[in-house]
Amino acid sequence: MLFGFPPEIYLMQIVFGLALGAIYVLLASGLSIIFGLLDVINFAHGTFYMLGAYAVYVAVSLTGNFWIGLVCAVLIVALFGALTEWTLLKRLYKEEPFYPLLLTFGMAVAIPDAMKFIFGLIGKVVEYPSGLVGAIMAGPILLPKYRLFIIVLTAFVMILLWLFLKKSDLGMIIRAATRDSLMVQVLGVNVSRIWTVGFSIGVGLAALGGAVAAPMVSAVPDMGVEMTVECFVVVVIGGLGSLGGAILGGLIIGQVVSFVSLFAGDYSNVAIFFAMAVILLIRPRGLFGEAGRL
Amino acid sequence: MKKVLWLLVSAFALVTCFSTVTLAQTARFGEAIPLTGPYAAMAEDMKRGSMLALEEINAAGGVLGKPAEVLITDSQLKADVTIRRFKDMMDQGYKFIGGSLSGGISLVGNEFACKNKLLYMAFCHTSIPVGKEFCGYGFTSAVIPYQPASALANYAFKNFGKKWMSLTADYRWGHDNLAAWLVNSEKYGGEFLGNIYHPLGTRDFSAFIPQILAKKPDFLVVTNYGTDQASAIKQLAELGLTKKMKIVISKTHIITIKETGAAFDENVYGSSTFYWHLQDKYPEAKTFVKTFWDKYGSPPSQDGECAYTATKVVFSAMNKAGVVDDVDKVIETIVSNKWPSPKGPTEWRPCDHARLQSICILQGKGAKAKDWDVATLVAEVPYTETLESCENNKKDIPYGQVKLPGK
Repeated sequence: MLFGFPPEIYLMQIVFGLALGAIYVLLASGLSIIFGLLDVINFAHGTFYMLGAYAVYVAVSLTGNFWIGLVCAVLIVALFGALTEWTLLKRLYKEEPFYPLLLTFGMAVAIPDAMKFIFGLIGKVVEYPSGLVGAIMAGPILLPKYRLFIIVLTAFVMILLWLFLKKSDLGMIIRAATRDSLMVQVLGVNVSRIWTVGFSIGVGLAALGGAVAAPMVSAVPDMGVEMTVECFVVVVIGGLGSLGGAILGGLIIGQVVSFVSLFAGDYSNVAIFFAMAVILLIRPRGLFGEAGRL
Repeated sequence: MKKVLWLLVSAFALVTCFSTVTLAQTARFGEAIPLTGPYAAMAEDMKRGSMLALEEINAAGGVLGKPAEVLITDSQLKADVTIRRFKDMMDQGYKFIGGSLSGGISLVGNEFACKNKLLYMAFCHTSIPVGKEFCGYGFTSAVIPYQPASALANYAFKNFGKKWMSLTADYRWGHDNLAAWLVNSEKYGGEFLGNIYHPLGTRDFSAFIPQILAKKPDFLVVTNYGTDQASAIKQLAELGLTKKMKIVISKTHIITIKETGAAFDENVYGSSTFYWHLQDKYPEAKTFVKTFWDKYGSPPSQDGECAYTATKVVFSAMNKAGVVDDVDKVIETIVSNKWPSPKGPTEWRPCDHARLQSICILQGKGAKAKDWDVATLVAEVPYTETLESCENNKKDIPYGQVKLPGK
């Protein structure tokens, strides 16, 4: 026994922390891409997470298949994100920096209200996909199948994202645009379209986070509010605009919440802010900061 | 010019006086309920119950011959916003206020009412009738938090076993429930294995689950509400806990059961002061359920019933007392009469303004649930088995004497 718990409990907390951290990674990496590319602090990021949850609910209701629903949800919300960027955000890039921020803040208020009007206040149930209900026992350790799936899916998506950004032409252009969009424009690339693509990728990642969270928490209109705040904490810890930082920050916060929940559950929400404060004291620009941008 | 000015001032004064007199003769009830936030769906049900009551009161002639009015505002589930709303109402001449879906916030509302000599009717589980909280101006149309715990504890220790642990939302209502469970555990020979506090608004309960599994209780007491509860039950079911132990929820809600879906299965139990199946027992419930369902497309929940009964009683008491602005007279009228309610005649105890009502124990239906038929009513526990005496409530014993773990 260690501090009153057998060793297997700590191993289980690590697994649960990884699963929780995986959702933070999805959201935070999306937010980092948007900030890195557009210099826009997307206050509506949690809202797109919520839209992902509702989109998977609708898609699963229509198709009866969770996997089709998951893919559709991400694509639908990513397209919605692209539309939002093209029609609304794009007009504000030349304005004062806080204008896009205000717009996303307004979206964070208006869209949940619209969802309440469309779907009502009662949460929408998304069942776990069959085959991923329950847990695998590895000796005395309980490994929930759905949580393992989230961890594996996030790792897969992050590898895919890394390959896209590092190895593909479009990824190279996106990275170049985060460094110097004017130069990219001068070289004849339509930067405006790159921004739309980047924004929709960021939003798509948030939607994926919401879609995988939906079976665990049900889709409710206000589910993105606190997620936005927590996501910002992760991004700040990792370093604004840094994808690697977002991944590491998400994993760290997942473990912090998991282990604080074990010993002092009532402080599990506050703990992430404490962790942010400690990390920023040691490293004010975050773990990877400016140096580790996309 | 001076003449015109005088005419204008006189006209303004006349209109103001007339308005004040008119308003003073209008029966008004102001409510602050959390229409936004984690309990929004439940608050919407409260709003519906209150508006239905208002409709029925006005259809029957209003209060003292004039239509009554209800003002519903959003408290955002925040104490400071609630007080701001009540202050605005008081400034507009409201003397009767109510609402709340949080025990802690209801105590703040009660304190405001006590200080300003207003009648405050809480719609939620609250400790207003207990100890130093009670000042004579506060009421609850629900129950005191220890009551559902007492009702459930009796059932759980008799049917599920003796070993238990708890998962508790870390605020006043959660603490009150936990205290009641600890007292009842001692009474029924229970073995308490530990408690886990979680902050209000927790979505991911997975981190709490390994320690619950390690302790192997016969049943887990879950004391939270709204979306917290739906998330908790879904995740407990996901990880198989609902198959390894019974889950006993201090206060549940039909909306939460519906949101939880198949996870709220036959191993999950919860308490509620009202469930629409009571229509099979009480003719008044049958009428209430039908009217509410026809109007709003869903059956009333306990929150709907509490708001409905509270609104109806406040206005009915004004009618009976023959006043719309004499708080003391209306209070006296409420406590000295029985009032019709969906659960039959109901009354408030004069010594502490606790409503004398039963508590339902519900068992989940899991995958067998259909539409709003989401639970089975397994027991209705009368208040005589759960409500402490006036003396005990006044001294806040035994529940106020409990040392909570980790506090």
